[in-house]
Amino acid sequence: MKINPVVEKELKTTMRGWRAPLLISLYLGFLLLVIYLYFLANDQLYTHGLQSFNPRVAINAFNTLAFFQLLLLLFITPILTGGAISSERERQTLDLLLCTSFSTYKVVLGKIFVSIANILLLITASLPIMGIVFMFGGVEISNLILLFFFYIITALMLGSLGVFYSTIFKKTIVSIVMSYLTIGLLTFGTYIIMALFYFFFDGFRTEPKYHELVAFLFANPLFGFGTVIEETASNSSVFGALVILSKGDFAAKIIIKSWMINLGFDVLFSALLIFLSARRLKHVK
Amino acid sequence: MLIINNLVKNYGKFKAVDNLSLEIGKGHIYGFVGANGAGKTTTMKIVAGLLKPTSGSVVVAGMDILKYPESYKNKIGYMPDFFGVYDDLKVPEYMDFYAGVYGIEKSQRAKLTDELLELVNLTEKKDFYVDNLSRGMKQRLCLARSLIHNPELLILDEPASGLDPKARVEMKEVLKELKDLGKTIIISSHILPELAELCTSIGIIEKGKMVVSGTIEEIMQKTSQKRVIRVKVLSELEGAVKILKEQPSIGTVNVHNDYLEADFHGTNENMAEILKTAIKNEIPVVSFTEVDRNIESVFMHLIGGEGNEN
Ligand SMILES: Nc1ncnc2c1ncn2[C@@H]1O[C@H](COP(=O)(O)OP(=O)(O)OP(=O)(O)O)[C@@H](O)[C@H]1O
Ligand SMILES: [Mg+2]
Repeated sequence: MKINPVVEKELKTTMRGWRAPLLISLYLGFLLLVIYLYFLANDQLYTHGLQSFNPRVAINAFNTLAFFQLLLLLFITPILTGGAISSERERQTLDLLLCTSFSTYKVVLGKIFVSIANILLLITASLPIMGIVFMFGGVEISNLILLFFFYIITALMLGSLGVFYSTIFKKTIVSIVMSYLTIGLLTFGTYIIMALFYFFFDGFRTEPKYHELVAFLFANPLFGFGTVIEETASNSSVFGALVILSKGDFAAKIIIKSWMINLGFDVLFSALLIFLSARRLKHVK
Repeated sequence: MLIINNLVKNYGKFKAVDNLSLEIGKGHIYGFVGANGAGKTTTMKIVAGLLKPTSGSVVVAGMDILKYPESYKNKIGYMPDFFGVYDDLKVPEYMDFYAGVYGIEKSQRAKLTDELLELVNLTEKKDFYVDNLSRGMKQRLCLARSLIHNPELLILDEPASGLDPKARVEMKEVLKELKDLGKTIIISSHILPELAELCTSIGIIEKGKMVVSGTIEEIMQKTSQKRVIRVKVLSELEGAVKILKEQPSIGTVNVHNDYLEADFHGTNENMAEILKTAIKNEIPVVSFTEVDRNIESVFMHLIGGEGNEN
């Protein structure tokens, strides 16, 4: 099997530059800050010692970290992929690639793969920090695996989105901004649309049913995230609210979980974006 | 090797390439000459598959490029007029990347890279980052890159533009070597002299139209039925013009600062007769010569307006 030369080249150059170490440092620094502030806010530092350590706090720390990692993913992936094609255009290297017999699918897939690899690197680097909270128990290894699976598929969708915009817009910054707008629409936008719908048509009288939630939120990464952490979130916490927004009812037994629906959407949406990007690259005017 | 038939490319209403046809045989070096904006780059981009023709056909090595949009690309090597490099790569890594893009086996790449770097005289720069090469070196590296899949047809868009005289000579040396290797090359330039000694055939394009096309000999022949006499006089320029115009073997007369040029179709006896007449009429002739017909002057002549008749 041949390695995709785009992947090989990009991995080589990103690892060589100063960007990768800087990105990892910033990423870990941010997560550490989050966890520090979290323990500070929950009064778990220094004063009481381990005896009075509340395991609930540790589990919520896990959720907090998981949530902030997702936010970082939403924030970083567009930056990683926004320039995938447009930077080649800006650097005038794109024509050199397009005048070859190299498939535009391989270009697009290579770029997305590289962004996922970068995300994986960040997630792996965060493992020791996740491990801190993991140590206190209450979090199963299966929770962690599901979480990482969720991250990777979400990164696939975000990466495809970034590459797609990158094939459309000439300027990297424009494709990054467009990615952010789209992500904003998927996350907060869908909640707002749903809220408006219930405000105008229902006056918030009835609780939304699961299938109604799905209809509004299937594309929302936070909707998927809700059931990823359902086993570690407690009813009364902020994360409990997130779970309720993903299930309709905290205790509801649902077979097709919101994360499955959301990741299913991600995969289909990614396939569409990859198809459109490759076609757009191949299409000459 | 390359046949272009009635190629048209419109940008909106603007015709960048207007019914252009040309044919390049295997092993030929075709000079594609034209002023800025004549449509050279547009034509070459179409051949390279980066632009879609509005109408007309392009056939490379027997393959219509619209029918075989992917596979024909293995037959061509393209060097654009403006191009960039990946700054974080070393010279061999740069070559390796494009070798991979063309699907060349890993095991063959190093040897191939060495050979090509040798060809373009970049062997000493092997440890350099691409970004640290001079402009001329980058240009030669890009040429090496366009050769990596051993293409049959090379499309070089102003490969010597922006280079200093020394780098131009170096580039020309490399191109000569390619010529000796039997490659078919189409090379564009806006200056003809640069190409004259390298090319076997030449096409001159103006405002998207092919003005003259053919082998160097053909072009010389086509235009050399018309000879040009240059007459320099001390004074009495008008008188000289008048006398010349009275001669049946003289065509158009162009007056320049202190000399005049006249199209001439006649024998050497006629020419001697004209000089005699001028002197008899007391025109102070300083010099009376036939303009040397090399390809450069043919070019200037054509570009100078008269070529539009063809
Ligand atoms: N994308 C475009 N949109 C509109 N017009 C264009 C475009 N690209 C080129 N043109 C026009 O087409 C004409 C031919 O341009 P082209 O680049 O082919 O010329 P050229 O012969 O390569 O000139 P030069 O010697 O400057 O490189 C020019 O008048 C140019 O303005
Ligand atoms: Mg040009």
